[in-house]
Amino acid sequence: MPLLAAGLSLGQYLRSVMHRVAALTAVLLAAIWALDGQGYLWPAWAWLGLAVPVLLDYTAGWAWRQAPGAVRRVACVWALAGVAAVILLLTWLLTWLLAGAREFWPAWALLGVATAVSSYSLFALHDRVLVAYGRRALRARVDLLTSTRRHVVAAQAAELRRIERDLHDGAQARLVALTLQLGRAEMRVADQPEVRSLIHDAQREARLAIDELRDLARGIVPPLLADRGLVAAVESLAARYGLGTEVDTATHRSLAPAVESTAYFVVAEALTNTAKHADAQRSWVRIADEGRALVVAVGDDGRGDADARGSGLAGLRARVEALDGALSVHSPGGGGTILEVRIPCG
Amino acid sequence: MRVVIAEDLALLREGLVALLRENDIEVVAQVQDGPGLLRAIAGHEPDLAIVDVRLPPTFSDEGLLAAIEARRRQPDLGVLLLSQYVETAYASELIGENTAGIGYLLKERVGDVRAFLDALERVAAGGTVLDRQVVTQLLTPRGGAGDALSRLTVREREVLELMAEGRSNTAIAESLVVTPGAVEKHITNIFSKLDLPACNDDHRRVLAVLAYLRVAL
Repeated sequence: MPLLAAGLSLGQYLRSVMHRVAALTAVLLAAIWALDGQGYLWPAWAWLGLAVPVLLDYTAGWAWRQAPGAVRRVACVWALAGVAAVILLLTWLLTWLLAGAREFWPAWALLGVATAVSSYSLFALHDRVLVAYGRRALRARVDLLTSTRRHVVAAQAAELRRIERDLHDGAQARLVALTLQLGRAEMRVADQPEVRSLIHDAQREARLAIDELRDLARGIVPPLLADRGLVAAVESLAARYGLGTEVDTATHRSLAPAVESTAYFVVAEALTNTAKHADAQRSWVRIADEGRALVVAVGDDGRGDADARGSGLAGLRARVEALDGALSVHSPGGGGTILEVRIPCG
Repeated sequence: MRVVIAEDLALLREGLVALLRENDIEVVAQVQDGPGLLRAIAGHEPDLAIVDVRLPPTFSDEGLLAAIEARRRQPDLGVLLLSQYVETAYASELIGENTAGIGYLLKERVGDVRAFLDALERVAAGGTVLDRQVVTQLLTPRGGAGDALSRLTVREREVLELMAEGRSNTAIAESLVVTPGAVEKHITNIFSKLDLPACNDDHRRVLAVLAYLRVAL
């Protein structure tokens, strides 16, 4: 038993014996036919018979290696059908070569087998075919939505910046010019109290309009952010909270407006929450540029236990997720709060 | 008083020029950008430059940078920075080490012509004028412990804002429609609440307030 000693199982050993016996028998028959005067090639029929178990062995092995369930069942059917088809073709080949058959008589049988097996396969695997098709369509859809959303978010941010600039150069400037002209008019009617009072009221209205426009513009993009970028804006923000906030920023490249604004509002909201709720002695802001992502973390040493589902955070989360980013809050009771945001950027 | 104006929006620039000329202030040059301002100052040596923060080509803080450079070249130049928003970082950069002859006002303050002309005079004479919004922004409560605002009453805050603009007691009283005596009382309270040394000189008072605010900056 040299093969068993080589680590083969009994089944593998029997298969290998069978293959050798079949090959040996085939050679032996060929030799007898050659010595017997080489007439009618009768061993061909024996060869056919010997090939069938070997063929069955290989195809069955292949079918069994398929995934269990419907796929393996279909593979077994195809294996049997394949062997049957080979037997038919070889038989026809021998009748044609040895007996001079004229017609391709297996045609109808082969067609029948192929039709039956195909129908069975389709029936057994139709759900898989549909799922695969559906998955492909879904993936294409997700890709499309991701890219269009990215464009929409970027375009929206750029558009907001443009509106802010237009407000500054347009409506706000005109209103300032208006108050200036009203001021000049007021100087000229110093002796008419009623007219002065009217002008005064008009100026107050103009000032209110300017205030409202300014708040609107600041909500879109704070001036320092628009003028000097994220680092300067965050440093100024941190200084204003009087929490001795340490700022550690390591990004110097220019970021997309959408990424920049989101990062800024994350820091603003986090510092506001710290000042309002955390009862903290210290806080810090860290902005790191990891190449493919901007990571913004804001932390404090306050009482922790922050409500991660609060309305302010929910709004931030939505903003961050619109950029395919992620927001996480780590805030154990008594252990301070860390808010971390990761925003992908080119 | 000889003045240079740096403002890129024609509507405002022309309005300002007309306003100043009507009030017998000589406008020696009007320019539209930072380099223009520096050239005008070298050529005319004015007493005062009125500068818009946002100027071409970047429309960010060009005006501020040009104003700082202009003061470096002509240290006795008064600079009044006009802006559509108040950014305390800009105020503190403009002030730098030298508080004399500095003003930072919101643009719409030009509508109150008398107060605006007063501010111009004070800045040209080496005074300091800060928009009341600077004070507001610095004192806006953030909920943190020990913020200064919680110690001031609403009225005291108003008085502090007007003091930052460099106004006299009389002007503050007029603006708030109270008696000068009441204003004095408020000022005493503010100074004691903020631990500032008491003084009556308008300009030194602004400096004291400024010194306090710069701690906050």
